[in-house]
This record gives sequence, C-alpha cells and structure tokens, in this order.
Amino acid sequence: MTDDKNATNKRGGTGAASADVLGANTEIGRKLRQYYEGLVSEEVPDRFALLLQQLEEVESTRKPE
Amino acid sequence: MAASAVFKADLLGAIPNLRAFAVSLTHNTDRADDLVQETLVKAWDKHASFQPGTNLKAWLFTILRNEFYSQMRKRGREVQDSDGAMTARLAVHPSQHGSVDLEDFRTALNTLPEDQREAIILIGASGFSYEEAAEICGCAVGTIKSRVSRARTRLQEVLGVSGEADYGPDAIAVQVLSSV
Repeated sequence: MTDDKNATNKRGGTGAASADVLGANTEIGRKLRQYYEGLVSEEVPDRFALLLQQLEEVESTRKPE
Repeated sequence: MAASAVFKADLLGAIPNLRAFAVSLTHNTDRADDLVQETLVKAWDKHASFQPGTNLKAWLFTILRNEFYSQMRKRGREVQDSDGAMTARLAVHPSQHGSVDLEDFRTALNTLPEDQREAIILIGASGFSYEEAAEICGCAVGTIKSRVSRARTRLQEVLGVSGEADYGPDAIAVQVLSSV
C-alpha cells in the first residue's frame, strides 16, 4: 500500500473536493452516479409502506392522542 | 399531521436511497431489502432520539450501516453473492458515451474492500460531504478521503481509464447530483 502519499495529498482539498475527485467530468464519477441512480430509480416493494403503516398503527394504539 | 405521520412520510421518502446504499453494501437485493426493513424498524423505535431539523438521511444511513456490519459479524462474513441475483434484476442503462460498460463498472466496484466501496458511494453517489460520511462511518474525515482516493485509483486501474477529466461539464450529471 504505497498509494497513500500520491493519492491523498494531490486530491485532498476541502470538504467540497468530491466535485473534482469524482466530478461529472470524470469517467469514474459518472459511472458511479449512473450505477447508483439505477438503484435509486428501482421500484420500491410494497412491503415497506405496509411495514411503516403497521408501525404507525401499533404506536397509535399504544399511545392514544 | 401527527408527528408520527410526518416521520413516516420522511422515512418513505428515504427508502429509494436506503435501498441503493444497501444494495451497494450487500450486492444482493434480498439481503438489501432485509437490511432496509431492519433499518426502518430501528429508526421507528429510535424516533425520539432523532433531532428534527438535522440530517435524517445521514441518520438513517448510519443505522443501516451499523446494522449491516453487525449482521456481517453475526454471519461471520459468509460468501457474498456478487453478481448473480443483482445482475438480472437491475435496469441497465446504455452507456451514453460508449465508454466503460455499466456491468463492468459494477463488477469492479464489487471487488473493492467494503470500507472503500462505502466511502466512494457515500461521497460520489449518495451526495454526502466528507464530514457527513465520516460521521456515518464513525471515522476521521481524513480516513474517508484516503479511502475514496484509494477506491478511485483502484477502479481506474481495473477499468483502464485515466483520472483526467475527459469530458466537459455534463448537464445531466449536474442534474443527477442536485436531485440526490
């Protein structure tokens, strides 16, 4: 593991550095977002809405307003 | 709306991002969905400890990540299903520039060590700052920077692309960034 000195120093920068390290005009940055956007845009299974509804119902019977 | 109804709506809104992060960690839709379910239950139980006005997404990502690592410890790091299940179920978008194939990218991403993969996802895709990512992962900002940097170098090597900016500012990518 000798990559630290080059990699971190050159591109360290500030908290906003993600813009250039993985920016819109780098191949890795673009692919990363394309990959992730594909996942985000998948249809969400109904089970989660049902689960939250159940959690809410349980809570409202426990603590009536 | 009652407080719980608002919270519920916020959780619902966060699910697509939680699933994306969970799939990135597990490489497996079924495991990812179990992880999201566990995260939602935990978040609901811990609702009282969430401070309104702070970053709900970061809070939820922290819960999900902790749950992931605690499951990994329990399972003793079983062999992960790297592509099989996922490959078939993902919508593959055609590469706009005819450059690196998305499938190749996913395979390369999955070869990264977990700590590097989660760092590059949080920073490069989920839209967190280095400070937020450090908080989510419970480590120093410098550690996140170093992991992102190593992950990026490794991906460039595996995929054979250079680190130079090879295209001008990309309007689509900017939109994607701001919508996360």
